[in-house]
Amino acid sequence: MPHANELCFQTGPDDAAWSVIIVPPLFDEANRMRRTLVLMMRALASRGIRSLLPDLPGQNDSLVATHAVTTGDWRTALAQCVEAQKQPVMIASFRGGALIDDDTGAAAWWRLAPVTGASLLRTMLRVRVASDREAGISTSIDALFDQSKDAPLMLGGNCLSPVMVAALHGAVPAAPAPLRSVALGDGPNMIAGAPLWLRAEPGEDSGMAIAMAHDIAEWAGQCGIC
Amino acid sequence: MQSDQIDSILRAIMADVLGLGAARADALTHGSELFGALPEFDSMAVGIVLTEIEDRMGIMIDDDDVDGALFATFGSLLNFCSSKLNG
Repeated sequence: MPHANELCFQTGPDDAAWSVIIVPPLFDEANRMRRTLVLMMRALASRGIRSLLPDLPGQNDSLVATHAVTTGDWRTALAQCVEAQKQPVMIASFRGGALIDDDTGAAAWWRLAPVTGASLLRTMLRVRVASDREAGISTSIDALFDQSKDAPLMLGGNCLSPVMVAALHGAVPAAPAPLRSVALGDGPNMIAGAPLWLRAEPGEDSGMAIAMAHDIAEWAGQCGIC
Repeated sequence: MQSDQIDSILRAIMADVLGLGAARADALTHGSELFGALPEFDSMAVGIVLTEIEDRMGIMIDDDDVDGALFATFGSLLNFCSSKLNG
């Protein structure tokens, strides 16, 4: 796998009894969620909880080329990040982050709105088709998917290798334990807020950030990590 | 699926993807122009809206279904969803 020292944003006390490692959404969705994820980290810090938001290789500010990484590399990088912590780790993953958070050595898992790789891929292929049509180029989801089997494919500014496209196509969230999975909405096992990962323009939701921090802290108590 | 239910789901998708807020989403009419009129409605939004329609209404949308006229107005998108769901 590609090796690089990736940046990692960290908040909270170094001597905390446990840590949260955040696995952000994948690709463009990560940009739209990042502001609220950082607000959530500050809300966790105000409760004395340490949290880390590492860059996945090939994502955000990583110097690794996106076409050089696979979903397996992301899982390995997360496992190394978990292993580097002195305290027990809970992984909090968002959307496509739930596809790569298993087999990482964490003590517990928390997820918001997990999604299949096929759904993420279909949206990215659609965006490419719509963008090509605006440029007067006629393409289709099926034709682009066929192309992706032989050569890297550019989707929404991300150059994805044939291995990455094939892995995403079949990727579904695994079932690590103990796991709490929450959806957006008003009700049990739900967080009130906006699906910021869908937004055409990045936004933020401070109420949602506080609600997520509260839910993670409650789950830590229930699953015995703290 | 009843027409008021389809209308409500589509308005929620517009609010979520375009960040319109409840008031602007409620104010959308059949004649409200979308692609080319709302700056937020770009090719990225088109892709996301189509997948959200599929997920929330339980339908599949083919490439052949999608052309420029589909996203002309809120009404054209609403009629498309109704015909997909109810024939």
